[in-house]
Amino acid sequence: MSDPLKPSSMDTSLKADNRKRRRARADSRFKWYGIIALGLAMAFLTFFFIDIIGKGLPAFQQAEILVHVEYSEAVKSNYNKAVPKKYRKLISRAWLRSIPMMLEGHPDMIGTSENLWVLADYRVDQFLKGHEGHRLKKKYQQLVAQLETDGKVHLAFNTGFFSSGDSKLPENAGILASAIGSVLVLLLTMLFAVPVGVMTAIYLEEFAPDNHFTRLIEVNINNLAAIPSILYGLLGLAIFINFMGVPRSSALAGGLTLALMTLPIIIIATRAALRAVPDSIREAAYGLGASSLQTVWHHVLPLAIPGILTGSIIGLAQAMGETAPLLIVGMMAYIPDAPHSILEATTVLPAQVYTWSAESIRAFEERTAAGIMVLLAVLLSLNAVAVKLRNRSQQTW
Amino acid sequence: MSTDTNNKLTIRDLKLWYDDFEALHGVDLDIPSGKVTAFIGPSGCGKSTFLRCLNRMNDRIPGCRVQGDVLLEGNDIYAPDVDVVQLRTHIGMVFQKPNPFPKSIYENIAYAPRIHGMMQDGPDMDALVETALKKASIWDEVKDKLKQPGTALSGGQQQRLCIARTIAIQPDVILMDEPCSALDPIATAKIEELMDELKQEYTIVIVTHNMQQAARASDFTAYFYLGDLIEYGKTTDIFTAPKNQRTEDYITGRFG
Repeated sequence: MSDPLKPSSMDTSLKADNRKRRRARADSRFKWYGIIALGLAMAFLTFFFIDIIGKGLPAFQQAEILVHVEYSEAVKSNYNKAVPKKYRKLISRAWLRSIPMMLEGHPDMIGTSENLWVLADYRVDQFLKGHEGHRLKKKYQQLVAQLETDGKVHLAFNTGFFSSGDSKLPENAGILASAIGSVLVLLLTMLFAVPVGVMTAIYLEEFAPDNHFTRLIEVNINNLAAIPSILYGLLGLAIFINFMGVPRSSALAGGLTLALMTLPIIIIATRAALRAVPDSIREAAYGLGASSLQTVWHHVLPLAIPGILTGSIIGLAQAMGETAPLLIVGMMAYIPDAPHSILEATTVLPAQVYTWSAESIRAFEERTAAGIMVLLAVLLSLNAVAVKLRNRSQQTW
Repeated sequence: MSTDTNNKLTIRDLKLWYDDFEALHGVDLDIPSGKVTAFIGPSGCGKSTFLRCLNRMNDRIPGCRVQGDVLLEGNDIYAPDVDVVQLRTHIGMVFQKPNPFPKSIYENIAYAPRIHGMMQDGPDMDALVETALKKASIWDEVKDKLKQPGTALSGGQQQRLCIARTIAIQPDVILMDEPCSALDPIATAKIEELMDELKQEYTIVIVTHNMQQAARASDFTAYFYLGDLIEYGKTTDIFTAPKNQRTEDYITGRFG
């Protein structure tokens, strides 16, 4: 019998045989699969950004018309009389409606008049931006074209988008109310989820005995991080609104519900961060006679902080973009005014985007896209902060 | 087993279980005061486990049970009223892998005295840090960079910093668990030199895999095998005239 491991002294060729060539081809095929997958992902992302930005950018400009406004006594009862009849249909009713209220506050203005750039009706706005389906009547189209050549109508930066809440009139609808709602909800989520989550993780990782009970808890926490978020909405509805009596649609109800959803993420991230601290540090502290609490508080936790922060911020960013659980606790609603307390009805940015996307008036489409842009900008900044924190306090042993 | 010196630690019939596994089968040992005692033996023989019984570091390990007596100058360290924190200020420990805290050199030393309320920050603390670093023969190398992180030092320096950190709590006994296994020969020689100086003031117990080290640096040697103490005596006796065949096999390198 010949020795199968005998050195092949006769065959000194360094050229690839068929087998080696097949292997090299498999290598390069595998590389190309990766490149194609990456290219596809990039293409989708680029398409998404171009689409959203293309649709959303026009929303940051809004049409205004220069008109002669007369503040007569009659305006108080009929705001339509403030502007020349010819232009009435071109001007936003939202602005016209606000005149009597303003005059109540400034009675001395009655009898005066001024030339003012005022918010135009959304049909004028859409017509000027050249959008299909602007629904501006033929006779007004000519008038607007005339005004445009006279320089009496223009597109200005849309401050109203950031300074007003939702409205049924597209030209008057803004994100202020939902942005404030988002900030309140996020603050409450952070306030509840971060301390409870971090404490739970510290207990489970550093103090709890390793037995069936704690292992059961661990499995459950990992499962909770993966269940559909709408279930948290049902849980929030049952516990916070029905049982504890938190007002519906309030930032408190939303914040608590999202805190439930964020807890498992924070616990898992914190445990991973604590586990990454080498045991030799704990031994060093115990060996010097530090107590368990001192060991964790003085040595383990400071080293785990970057990981905890990163995990928490990513969890909170996820909570900020969440809509499903908030649907259940009543935050997907038409809320024109910014909330003044955490018990008042409010809505949040993603909910606002959803509400606009369901509107039938075409002018809401660009506002939907603009809302998405704002939301994306906030989420990307949050993630950038997380990455920055992680990089800055990276520890080496 | 009879020695002419005072015994710092007296161990009687010490048994230890990890869950159902009996890792130590009843060890009796007297550790003399002011000497270096070395534990040798093949991997898994229980010498590190035994060392960690002496300051109750095994308390942290789930499923670990200890039976028997460990007396520190006559006081049972496993008695129910013993405070583990207090015990570890009497019996300090240096670990296998140098593990300075990722804080400044100064802070590494000052931490333990501060948490034990021995001293407040101030000139006294500065003096204590200096003394501890001097006793660990590392003062000259670090005196200009006390604010730099301890983790930036070389491995040998880190280990001496860890020894200084242990000295700062003014222990009676210093346990060393293979303190040189991660160090090069020059750093090892410095640690051995240091042990020789430190035994004037402290009782030192060292676990080592390096038999030359045990022969060079220790006064007494204990040979462990499979959870049993096989032979214990003066280092010169163990290495020149071992009484037990298994000890002889191990130290001559025929086994282990």
